[in-house]
Amino acid sequence: MKSKWSKVLAVLLALMLLVAFVPGCAQEDEGGETQEPAEETPTTDVKAAMVTDVGGLGDKSFNDLSYEGLKRAEEELGVEIEVLESKEITDYESNIDQLATAGFSPIFAVGFLMTDTVAKVAPMYPDTNFGGVDEFFDPVPANVVGLNFKEHEGSYLAGVVAGMATVSDFDEKLNGDNVIGFVGGMDVPLIKKFEAGYIAGAKAVNPDVKVISLYAGNFTDQAKGKELGLSLIEQGADVIYAAAGAVGLGTIQACQEQGALFIGVDADQYLTVPGSGDVMLTSMMKRVDNAVFETVKAAVEGTFPGGEIQYFGLAEGGVDLAPFHDFEDAVPQDIKDAVEEARADIISGAITVPEAP
Amino acid sequence: MSDSREGLPAQRRWMTVLQKVGTPLVSAALAVLVGSIIIWASGYDAGAAFAALFKGSLGGPKQIGDTILRAIPLIFTGLAVGYGFRAGLFNIGAEGQLFLGGLAAAWLGVVLAGLPWIIVVPIMIIASALAGAAWAFIPAILKARIGAHEVITTMMFTYIGRYLVSWLVIGPLKAPGQIPQTVAIPPEAQLPRIQELFSAGTLEALPFLQLGRAHLGIVVAVLMAVLVWVILKYTTLGYENRAVGFNPWASETAGISVQWTTVKALCISGALAGLAGSVEVMGVHHRLFDQFSSGFGFTGIAVALLAKNHPIGVIPAALLFGALSAGAGTMQFEADVPQKIILIIQALVIFFVAAEEIVLWFVRRRQKEAMSHAG
Repeated sequence: MKSKWSKVLAVLLALMLLVAFVPGCAQEDEGGETQEPAEETPTTDVKAAMVTDVGGLGDKSFNDLSYEGLKRAEEELGVEIEVLESKEITDYESNIDQLATAGFSPIFAVGFLMTDTVAKVAPMYPDTNFGGVDEFFDPVPANVVGLNFKEHEGSYLAGVVAGMATVSDFDEKLNGDNVIGFVGGMDVPLIKKFEAGYIAGAKAVNPDVKVISLYAGNFTDQAKGKELGLSLIEQGADVIYAAAGAVGLGTIQACQEQGALFIGVDADQYLTVPGSGDVMLTSMMKRVDNAVFETVKAAVEGTFPGGEIQYFGLAEGGVDLAPFHDFEDAVPQDIKDAVEEARADIISGAITVPEAP
Repeated sequence: MSDSREGLPAQRRWMTVLQKVGTPLVSAALAVLVGSIIIWASGYDAGAAFAALFKGSLGGPKQIGDTILRAIPLIFTGLAVGYGFRAGLFNIGAEGQLFLGGLAAAWLGVVLAGLPWIIVVPIMIIASALAGAAWAFIPAILKARIGAHEVITTMMFTYIGRYLVSWLVIGPLKAPGQIPQTVAIPPEAQLPRIQELFSAGTLEALPFLQLGRAHLGIVVAVLMAVLVWVILKYTTLGYENRAVGFNPWASETAGISVQWTTVKALCISGALAGLAGSVEVMGVHHRLFDQFSSGFGFTGIAVALLAKNHPIGVIPAALLFGALSAGAGTMQFEADVPQKIILIIQALVIFFVAAEEIVLWFVRRRQKEAMSHAG
């Protein structure tokens, strides 16, 4: 009898622990959402929302960045915001449906996996505007804008840094071989844009530099990324730029083991990949937050660019180079100046960056 | 787990049926109760959360359609896992078989473009079942011939299947464009939405037919559940399956080939899982891509557990999981409860189903003890 009650007690205790544990995780998700807009915030009746892909919030990538953009719109423009996370692909349509029915517009669908869904749902809600992050439509529905990025422009700046760094000696990992490397995810036009910009930038500041490009064939295989990184370093590369999603994480390891510098992609990877500071020279950031914010702003001002595919480049704040962080003091001023010069020239149109190598 | 109560008097039989139906209901109710305590303890309004959950899953024809939509693949995977369990096999790799089924459907749908749907759709459905069965065949042979445990081998084959599909959609089968996915299958290869079968006038007159995204796959799913039930209850195939699940040694002695039955059971289980892949491709996504399944093969294990491996019971069990999934979005939207809390409630359902087995085990042991004392 006694042992039976102790079992019951144990189960109860376990349940209590469960209950005590859950609030901690659950309330985290809420953070920020409940913020009251400050008093001086202008008011508008625009209600903007986003639907995450299955990666959800906390992915340190497109979903989080889009949410940043929405939060900025809430603070600066006074729009009401809502974010719905998707736990499975079937949720995409029902989440968008839900928000459209509740009068949200614009609604952002984050990630190319939602392209089909947006194309299908948009005509059902002609009075609602939709923004597709990293989505391309052909033809573009009149109430949809595709938000894309000029990755080649940001990569050009990364190329300028790499091209000059490889013949510089501000870090002991730099050798005199005048070789830099590129690791691509899949051999598709999108990634070719990164490669083309990178090569163009490097050759512009260092015409003799040798750029070796290798492709992993996917965006997930970290072991492959490491292997490619080691192979590049073997061939003399001392700065490697990876546009390859999670594959790049393996390349970072290769750089750390064999001593080379790394240029990150999409987010400021110094912040998103802990412990990578010793090799992370800079990152080429896709500013999804800016693209989302600008689109909400356009909606507030009544100029929502429906029916268009938009490309956010350096001029629009859609791509940019991250700070040098740990290398801030080491990087010579002439590299920093060259980056600023290239940036100005691209924005003014003096330089046109190629989209294919 | 298996039926061996055919000979009981009518009253006892009704009691067993009542017990079988009642306990999962009690489990679900307990899960909802503990779930609301968790939601409340997390600082949310549990009442509002469940009101929203109900509204989002059963609040109207469109919401009911969404519940059905999400239940369809789970009926197939639930049947798959349940059929294996009835032969004493744990097919944990339904997910991989599902991927192969989806692959077969997505490929054939494009290859057979131009043929009328009356030919294309049955071919796609049969082919995806064969693909799922083929994917289960090697683990089945390994189990039957050298005793390699099916939990390990079917799981390993899930990885192989998933990565095979991954590779195909970014490589040989990739549609033109940036996105790693296959070309969409033509309309005559798709399973239409139920509301598309009726004219606008009919839908206006009978609003309950406006089932939103629910597609004809539900008809296939229910027919398949009935078919599996008939096979298990009235055929030699099903009898051997149950006998081996109940006691392989006795079956062997009685002249049933345990090896051959094992192979058949795993292959049929794989075929059912393969069908889940094809209905998802034909009814929902109309193409194949890397993440087209949200772990339906694994959720199917839970569905089979809740249904106590009964083919007909799988239907309400899958509908319950479908409803939880469909209502989660509304719960997140209207009550601000994170959608992932629904996963906790799903886990609690499983927990209480399992807990009931534990309780029954204690009861039986006590009965045995009492009997041995009496003896």
